[in-house]
Amino acid sequence: MRRVSLVAILGSCLAATALTPARAGDMTFERALNADREPQNWLLHHGDYAGHRFSQLTEINTDTVKNLKLVFSVALGGFESGGRYKFGNLEGTPIVEDGVIYVTDGWGSVYAIDATSGRKGVIKWKMDPGTDRAWAGDVACCGVNNRGIALWKDRVISVALDGRLFAINKATGELIWERKVANPAIGETITMAPLVVRDLAIVGAAGGEFGIRGYIDATDLNTGQQAWRTFTIPGNGEPGNDTWKDGKERWRHGGGSVWETATYDAETDTIYQGIGNAGPDWDAQYRPGDNKWAASVLALNPNDGKIKWGFQYTPNDPYDFDEISEHPLIEAKVNGENRKLVVHAARNGFFYALDRINGSFVVGRQYVDQLNWTPGLDPKTGRPLNYDPAGDVQVYAQGSHGMRGSAPSRTCPSHFGGKNWEPTAYNPQLGLLYIPSIEGCNSLETVEQKDFVDQGGTIKPRERFSGGGQKTNVRLYGSLKAVDPATGEIKASLRLDYPNYSGALATAGNLVFLGHADGEFTAYDAKTLKPVWSFNVGTGINAPAVSFAINGKQYIAVLAGSRQSPFVTGLAPELKNTSTASMLFVFAQ
Amino acid sequence: MGLRARRAIGASVAICLATLAAPSVRAQTTLSPDDARTIEYGKEVFKTKATCQFCHKWDASGDQGYGGNALSLRKTELTPAQMAEVIKCGRPGTGMPYHDRFAYTDKRCYDMTRADLGNDMPPAGNEFLQPREIDAVVKYLFAKAVGRGPSTYAECVDFWGTDTRECEPMKDAK
Repeated sequence: MRRVSLVAILGSCLAATALTPARAGDMTFERALNADREPQNWLLHHGDYAGHRFSQLTEINTDTVKNLKLVFSVALGGFESGGRYKFGNLEGTPIVEDGVIYVTDGWGSVYAIDATSGRKGVIKWKMDPGTDRAWAGDVACCGVNNRGIALWKDRVISVALDGRLFAINKATGELIWERKVANPAIGETITMAPLVVRDLAIVGAAGGEFGIRGYIDATDLNTGQQAWRTFTIPGNGEPGNDTWKDGKERWRHGGGSVWETATYDAETDTIYQGIGNAGPDWDAQYRPGDNKWAASVLALNPNDGKIKWGFQYTPNDPYDFDEISEHPLIEAKVNGENRKLVVHAARNGFFYALDRINGSFVVGRQYVDQLNWTPGLDPKTGRPLNYDPAGDVQVYAQGSHGMRGSAPSRTCPSHFGGKNWEPTAYNPQLGLLYIPSIEGCNSLETVEQKDFVDQGGTIKPRERFSGGGQKTNVRLYGSLKAVDPATGEIKASLRLDYPNYSGALATAGNLVFLGHADGEFTAYDAKTLKPVWSFNVGTGINAPAVSFAINGKQYIAVLAGSRQSPFVTGLAPELKNTSTASMLFVFAQ
Repeated sequence: MGLRARRAIGASVAICLATLAAPSVRAQTTLSPDDARTIEYGKEVFKTKATCQFCHKWDASGDQGYGGNALSLRKTELTPAQMAEVIKCGRPGTGMPYHDRFAYTDKRCYDMTRADLGNDMPPAGNEFLQPREIDAVVKYLFAKAVGRGPSTYAECVDFWGTDTRECEPMKDAK
């Protein structure tokens, strides 16, 4: 017996050794703060805490990019149907550490792909969390999405659409623990990649079209328990609750969802989280008042979730100008003065720069081609010029949004944006922010929103809560614009055939990479935005690229395969027959 | 008359009334294997292939939001032939898409072409459907949705199955 035990112990020791590669160092807060010291890795969702999505690698540059070619691809899964959707999408940003690429599919399976050979990707493990697809997919507004993982110590931290957060053994893919964060029973889902600051994983709930009350939530990764939760819509007695003037406590299902990863400033220990639209989306008469903190940015202390300040882009938003997308941190000289800025290419069509210490407005400028809802921004406050401080329901420009009993609107930019969730990239060497966006107009038709059950109405949790519908019968297009973040001035501009839903990567090789709905994956000259290289992957791309190096050689990787918006393909006959896929493509010279 | 007899008569009257109000209930009990197969196939097209449910909701009661303001098919007054035409041709001027690949390339839909419609041209569906598929969707909707009141827990389980929590809120509501 004793001999057997010894053999067993020896065996398990050997197994443990084999499963723990010596090269895979623990992911620490120190490494996260200094992600720029590891240009061979892509350690954080936005590349760094500042949200720059900038690679310092230069082997692939404007001179050499012509030699860029596909090196390998990896087929992934996630095709299962569920809820309102036929299959899951790939919208994720890969995380790369020491030649291992971590990606997710729409249903939340995590794949660890060993690319250390530099010539192929071998899926060394896959963790499928067994998502309840009908349950979660029926309350996902816009597809089956998962935007990626985070690394913490020797673990991978991931989420699933049905609201769970997971800690996974990075070496083996074994699920260590899970925590139920969001609750699909009340319309909440999770699609965003977690932000890890120290030992906390910060996520939020999507569901702005299903009558949720949004929040930002931190999980203590040492215990798997909740550390804090801050609601984006203030409750009774909290500052901002008085901006819900309906008298019926409609803030209880006021939206303000959170579904893209925040940026983090270590100097002041602050996270900057974009906040989604108010609910119901299009019946602003249902919710008189400014509806804080919907359509806003919040600066929070990551340790306790306390709000330091907030800035609201579109008060009493009647458009669905959901501002969840990234808020890059940029140092720039404004009027001769060095400023610490937090910037945002907003879905409402304006570029904003705020003082990131106190949230005061610095600069705002229209970046979309067409904008009809306001003549501009107040240069002092940043508020829309036609905002009426005495009005409870904002009219803005007449006919630019739906009203009860009124004809459908003509809304520019369309309610899709402007820039939707797809992230910008910033080249600090050139001082240019690259904004991929959606251009054009569409139509909103407001229908009086019925009350929620808790207010004596008929609308129950999990039912759509949008106060109307949208109609997009005129073809939308896209653009890529290079903007000076100190002034908002557009330095270069390129019209794209399709609205962009993929997001940008900037590199020190003076390139900007962007994927497109028709499968083109293109590199642009960072100064002129002239296309300098392109490869067609044969299926639409809805995910941002990353760059990394293996054994000193630079690679570019991008996920491809998504349900293309029917409002894109339905109006672009040449895309009508495009099939989806679920692939990782990796390029090198 | 005893209580039990009165109850029995009451129940049979109720069944007759229900049968009159919803002929689909009667049809359901006397389905041929072919009809049953067609209805099940129509459900699959409604649910997954054409994802009609994205806009009309799983129970076809209509919905709002990103799919636009989609009408209730439980309350529709369309005949089966009219419904088939709307699925095939869409509804000009609205977000209801067309599902016949060749709609508006000739005059098969409402005697109009793409050029006639201009910005009233309805969008193309996620998938195009063959006449057999459109016929199945119509049969499915008339068997399971049209003319019915609010959906029930049993209908929810019939649509989604029992391997999900999807229908639990409806069970709890009872």
